[in-house]
Amino acid sequence: MPADAPIPARFYPAEGDAHGHPARLSWDGDALLVRPEDAPDRRVPAANLRVEARGFNHSQWAICWSGDPAASHTHLLIVDDAHIGPLRRAAPDLFVVGEQRRQRTHRRFRVGIVALAAVPLIFAGGLLLSVEPLAERVVAHIPPSVEQQIGAAVLARTRAAGPMIVEGPAFDALQTIGKRLARPGEALQFHLAERPDINAFAAPGGLVVVNSALMAEATSAEEVAGVLAHEIAHVELRHSLKQIAKAAGLRVVVSALSGDYAALGGWAAQLGELKFSRDAEREADARGLQRLTEARIDPQGMLRFLEGRAAAAPSGPALLSTHPDTVERISALRAAIAAAPGVPPQAIGIDWSPVARGLRAAPGRGMMPSD
Amino acid sequence: MAMDVVDYEIFGHEMQYVEVELDPGEAAIGEAGAMMYMQDGIQMDTIFGDGSQQQSGLFGKLLGAGKRLLTGETLFTTVFHNEGHGKRRVAFAAPYPGKIVPVDLSAVGGTLICQKDSFLAAAKGVSLGIAFQKKLGVGLFGGEGFIMQKLDGDGMAFIHAGGTLMEKTLAPGETLRVDTGCIVAFQPSVDFDIQYAGKIKTALFGGEGLFFATLSGPGKVWLQSLPLSRLADRIVMASRAAGGGGKEGGSVLGGIGLGALLGDDD
Repeated sequence: MPADAPIPARFYPAEGDAHGHPARLSWDGDALLVRPEDAPDRRVPAANLRVEARGFNHSQWAICWSGDPAASHTHLLIVDDAHIGPLRRAAPDLFVVGEQRRQRTHRRFRVGIVALAAVPLIFAGGLLLSVEPLAERVVAHIPPSVEQQIGAAVLARTRAAGPMIVEGPAFDALQTIGKRLARPGEALQFHLAERPDINAFAAPGGLVVVNSALMAEATSAEEVAGVLAHEIAHVELRHSLKQIAKAAGLRVVVSALSGDYAALGGWAAQLGELKFSRDAEREADARGLQRLTEARIDPQGMLRFLEGRAAAAPSGPALLSTHPDTVERISALRAAIAAAPGVPPQAIGIDWSPVARGLRAAPGRGMMPSD
Repeated sequence: MAMDVVDYEIFGHEMQYVEVELDPGEAAIGEAGAMMYMQDGIQMDTIFGDGSQQQSGLFGKLLGAGKRLLTGETLFTTVFHNEGHGKRRVAFAAPYPGKIVPVDLSAVGGTLICQKDSFLAAAKGVSLGIAFQKKLGVGLFGGEGFIMQKLDGDGMAFIHAGGTLMEKTLAPGETLRVDTGCIVAFQPSVDFDIQYAGKIKTALFGGEGLFFATLSGPGKVWLQSLPLSRLADRIVMASRAAGGGGKEGGSVLGGIGLGALLGDDD
């Protein structure tokens, strides 16, 4: 752009009306040349000029000067920022203060918008982080009677979901193993469910449910004992309760954020399908191993069952999905067994092959209708 | 690109529509859904973005459309071309009671800052942009939010707002204190700011809220007497179905006694 290209502006003379006049500006040596369309030209020395950023988002420049030093009114020029370039290059000093003001507004806007966006995020993040300690605290206050109620509800749900096996060699074997594992005075219930997936789960109130397929898959009573010890450890450590509290807590956060409070009612329904964290599984393994040692049951059974599951991983995903990182668990378990040799184990003394064969050959035997 | 020069006529009093006359080859853009009727020979075409020539390429179009989404308008603009041989007319109706104001953008310096969703129609070539309000206080308490609409070009634009519209030219330094929410449009040279109502008693019981919007000149401003939100509040308050007061008269007595005797002129 040539230096003398006129700059479009609007001129508001001190004595004029509110509407102003279109004008053209150019820089002439050390003065501003103002050429209104319908008024005589004016030449204003640079020293008399004051420049401010103004208007919407400071997108305009106001250039003012006093015609008569005694008068209160000043002459005013409004120039759009898009056209100000040549003037600014000619007299950069005039624009320093206004530019600072512009930058300040823009900076505050950016900071403010980021802050406005960050507040809900920080709030949500804080809630998410506090779910774990909150769940711990809530669980610490749950009395045993509530645990019993939850356990009873889970059992009722399991019974409603499919047939249960309540007699026969497999049921008896399960009770025998359970009795070996229970400590004196400990109220544990062992239930056998007729299910095709290899799985077992524990619920609050000392409830352990084993699927028939798991018992059929096992090759010895020690293997089942290992699974049971692991599940009992979940109950002991109140993992499922914590999980429930956490799931409820997350839902509180989610529904509070989305404004959907009706969803809160649904969480209690999922007790059976809880997934534990990796840490919880490791903890349950360690605690289960301890229980096996106390009961003088060979921990190799626990290890063998896990190894069998890891080898059959693609075909039996049910247990693996709720018990992640099986390989990692196996190595941790092996190390723990090696570290604590303990007293020589006593065999449980159940001949397992007829039990497993019975479950495989006639899965319906000894079955009772659920209701 | 030269803007299309359009002739227009505004009909109605409180619920207006504007009829735009298009010469052959001329076009106008309308807010989607604002068209009321059009004569034979006018082709309607829906385009993505705002139809101005400034956006080029897919990215530019997406950007323009995204901006329109932010201002609360639809992604598409409707263009009305006159493909006939003679003058043809197309009409755009205001969506709620109020006034339509024709603004010649070339007469206001080419740019107008508007309340969002106040745009009704314009000559083709006018670009609809968004202007973020960068003063935080004004964005939060000024009554117009952070997002405003910017009309650029030198053609005719029609904006619409509630109640009666007042156009005022502010002299340099002249300041108007305005109830928040009543600002429809202003020239970019106008300073839009907020001012604390001053006394806590006034703020709480004066019914005007904690802040005024202030507009200071030089420049033109357009104000509306009845923001749609205020009208909607009153309608909901008065509605029996919505659990409002539902009284037609000024008092219970007027509603059931005198109102029934005197007010029924059917």
